[in-house]
Amino acid sequence: MKKPEIHLTNEKLAETCKDAAKTVLIIAAFTAVAMSLSRINNDNNPFAPTLYVLAVALVARFTDGFFYGIAASLASVACVNFFFTYPFHKFNMTLSSYPLTFAVMLLVSILVSAMSSQLKKQERIRFEAENEKMRANLLRSVSHDLRTPLASIIGSSSLLLEKPGLPAQERSKMLLEIQKDARWLSRVTENILSITKLSSDGVKIATTDEVVEEIVGSSIVKFRKHSAALPVEVKSPDEVLIVPMDATLIQQVLINLFENVEVHGNCATRILLEIRHESSRVVFTVSDNGTGFPPSVLPKVFSTTMISSSENADGHRNMGIGLSVCNSIIVAHGGQMSARNNIYGGATVEFWLPTGGGEDEQQAEDPYSRG
Amino acid sequence: MSSKLKILIVEDDSGICSFLETTLASNGYGYLTSSNGKAALCMVSSHCPDCILLDLGLPDMDGNEIIRSVRSWSKIPIIVISARTSESDKATALDLGADDYLSKPFGTVELLARIRTALRHTRTSSSDSEVALTESFHVGDLCIDFKKRRVSLGGIDVPLTPNEYRIVELLGLHAGQVMTYKQMLTSLWGPSIGSDNKLLRVHMTSIRHKIEPNPNEPMYFMTEVGVGYRLVDEVES
Repeated sequence: MKKPEIHLTNEKLAETCKDAAKTVLIIAAFTAVAMSLSRINNDNNPFAPTLYVLAVALVARFTDGFFYGIAASLASVACVNFFFTYPFHKFNMTLSSYPLTFAVMLLVSILVSAMSSQLKKQERIRFEAENEKMRANLLRSVSHDLRTPLASIIGSSSLLLEKPGLPAQERSKMLLEIQKDARWLSRVTENILSITKLSSDGVKIATTDEVVEEIVGSSIVKFRKHSAALPVEVKSPDEVLIVPMDATLIQQVLINLFENVEVHGNCATRILLEIRHESSRVVFTVSDNGTGFPPSVLPKVFSTTMISSSENADGHRNMGIGLSVCNSIIVAHGGQMSARNNIYGGATVEFWLPTGGGEDEQQAEDPYSRG
Repeated sequence: MSSKLKILIVEDDSGICSFLETTLASNGYGYLTSSNGKAALCMVSSHCPDCILLDLGLPDMDGNEIIRSVRSWSKIPIIVISARTSESDKATALDLGADDYLSKPFGTVELLARIRTALRHTRTSSSDSEVALTESFHVGDLCIDFKKRRVSLGGIDVPLTPNEYRIVELLGLHAGQVMTYKQMLTSLWGPSIGSDNKLLRVHMTSIRHKIEPNPNEPMYFMTEVGVGYRLVDEVES
């Protein structure tokens, strides 16, 4: 529980450093410009104060809060005094115009800071509203999706209770149906859980370095355990691929994709998972030889809104939640996901994950060799 | 008193409880039930059950507290039953001394297999570990000969590096149980090794390539994502 706090203060520190660096850079740049101008004009520089007002405005716009703007005003007044008024390279505080210059700069910085923080607030509100809309959409579609299997479970179980005399074959058929529905519900809940995981800590998720083959292997084992499932053929490079990821979430993406083939592939007989290593990313391609996506659905497979569309209203369980969850998981990892139909039939869903910087590679060098 | 093995169920949900009771009873186990942590701790010390099925989310205390308290005086196998999906919770429970875990929802087959494994391990580990080392372990085509320090697949020796053998040996001694990364790192390379498990995983990959018929769909060396590894003790058909 302590980790996120440390993380937060670290982030704050980084933010502070960034803002300070911006302030110093902007002031330095404008000082340089003003100096070269005054060299052209024989040490006579009437523009300097104006230029510094602009610098202060920029600092106030691009930093957080009022502090840096005010600091920049102070620095600017000092610079004008030191570099651009007689006596040069000396502070002279007797000139009567300084309080005025300083006051103007201060006012500009405060005004601009206030405006930009207002802007930021509005942006955040808009972002939150969009998030809220997405969540509401999802909730609506999920509860819609949950109703059908629940109705079937309640119906079958009450029938089993009321009619103890049913033939054994019929009983076991209904029990199997109940089990199937319950399994499906459990999968949907897993998807919902991972959405809460995605949105509870903002967009950033906690990743650890994982061996791709292990995640692929355990996803396939898990997928094959649940249903008497289609075989998954894997084509992957010989090298050991290590990718930073949240392993459970990526495993869920893979299982969702496999299950989509099973449920919506319409007579698909095989699943092919191809893994490629491209310079700074690892690409996963899941393809099948079924009938592919209906063309009308293809452009919006990843949106949560498609779930309520009439196309799927026939009680056929749709892939909406699954794919949109997959997409948000991949995006949260800094990757991308796309879907297309193959020329020779079947569908392909492809996603990639960034491999991250190579910075930890040296660390893992040899701590175990003494064993 | 009967000679049935007694299993303590610590679970506050009555539905799951009755499912567990029925499963255990119909498979020849005796059982005790407790719906809260305090009563469970009393029952552990008064009845000395052979195995504990423990739900982590209890109304009166954290399940991890129970693990800690039982482990302070007893080696009774504890199987954690958890609805928590976070892997770190599982790893914490295992590192505290739980023997295994099951995530809800689970089936009867899985449950019974875990109980058998847990019971078997208390019996072998109570004897000297040297005894365990003179034996060998078989599952499917895989055979680990602890005495000769050799691993074979269908009668053919598998060439493993010393580090790889030690990993296989460790998993073999705890076959059927999940070993967390931390437990493996500590027992292989000592407590000072830290928590960087990258090399362990690279070793695992190479072990899989040498032993598994299809490394992309392992049948012996299972990855428990985010937690650790498990060498199966029964091959599923």
